[in-house]
Amino acid sequence: MLITNPLNSSALAFPILECFHIVGFALSIGTIAIVDFSLLGVGMRRPAQLAQDTWLWTLGGLVLMLFSGLLLFSSDPDMYYLNWPFLIKMVFFVAAVIFHYTVHRKTVASDIPPPNGKLVACVSLALWAGVIFGGIFIGFVYPGLSLGRG
Amino acid sequence: MTGFFTALRGSAYVYPIVLSMHMIGLAFFGGMVLMTDMRLLGLTMRKRSVAEVVDLFRIPKRWGLLLIVTCGILLAGSKAEEYYYNAFFRTKLILLGAVLVHELVFRRGVYANPAALDRTPTVPASAKLAAALSLLLWTSIACCGRGIGYIEPPLDKIHAEIHLVQDAALAALRGPNLLKGEDH
Repeated sequence: MLITNPLNSSALAFPILECFHIVGFALSIGTIAIVDFSLLGVGMRRPAQLAQDTWLWTLGGLVLMLFSGLLLFSSDPDMYYLNWPFLIKMVFFVAAVIFHYTVHRKTVASDIPPPNGKLVACVSLALWAGVIFGGIFIGFVYPGLSLGRG
Repeated sequence: MTGFFTALRGSAYVYPIVLSMHMIGLAFFGGMVLMTDMRLLGLTMRKRSVAEVVDLFRIPKRWGLLLIVTCGILLAGSKAEEYYYNAFFRTKLILLGAVLVHELVFRRGVYANPAALDRTPTVPASAKLAAALSLLLWTSIACCGRGIGYIEPPLDKIHAEIHLVQDAALAALRGPNLLKGEDH
C-alpha cells in the first residue's frame, strides 16, 4: 500500500470513532424519532414546534455521524465495498436523508397535522431503522456472503 | 430458559437482529435522554419550560428503556459465560448500577417535580449537576456497550471451567465405583 491511513496505526482509533458515531446517531435519529412519534400522536403533541426545537440537534447529529462514518469507512474501503449490509445501509441512508429534508420537512412544517402525516412518520422511522439494521449487520457478514460470528 | 438462550445464540441472524433493535432503542431512548438533560442544562428547547420538556419525554422514555433493556437481557443471556469475563460488560453493569443511584438521589428533587425548577429564574445547580451526570453516565454506557465486542472471550478459560464442572459431575457419578476400584 502506497498510502497508509493513520487511523489504522492505532488500535483505539476505530472504537473511539464508533462511539462518536453512536452518539451522533442517538442525537440525529433520536430527535427525528421524537418528531415522528409526535406526528403519530404518540405521547407528544405539536410536531411543528418540536421540529423547530430539534432541527439543529438533528443536523448536528447527522454531521457527527456522517464524518465519523466517513473516517470509519476509510479504514477499510474494500471491505465495505464488498459488504452487502453496508451497501443496503447506504441506500437507506441516502433515501432517509433526502426524505427527511424534503417530504418530512414539508409535512412537519404545517401546524395542523396533514392527513398523510402518519404515513410520513412511518416511512421516516422505517428508513432510519433500515440504516441501523444495515449498520449492525456490517459486522456480522464477511466477504463471500457467509455469516460469521453470532 | 437456558435452551431459549442457546437457540438465540445458535441462530446466525437472531443475534444481530436483536442487537439492531437494541440500537433502535438506544436511538429513541438516548435521544430523549440527551434532549431532557440538555434542556436542564439550558442548551436546547429553551422556548419550552423545563417542566414541559421533562413531562413530554417521561412516558416515551420508559417505552424506549423497556425496549433497550429487553433486547439487552436477550443479548447478555445469549452469551452469558463470555460476557461474564468481559471488562467492558462488567463496567457497563456497574455504570447501570450508578444510574440507579443517580435516579434515587435526583428523582425527588429534579425529575419527579420539574415544575419547581421553573419557579427560579435559572435552573438550580443540583438539576444541572443531575443532567451533566446523566449525560456522562449514559454516554459511557453506550461506549462500554460498543467496547464489549472488542474483547475476545477467554475461550480456553471458559472451556477449562466447563471441563472442571463435567469432571466433577462424572466423579460424583462414578464415585462409589472408584472407591471399589481402590479396594481391590
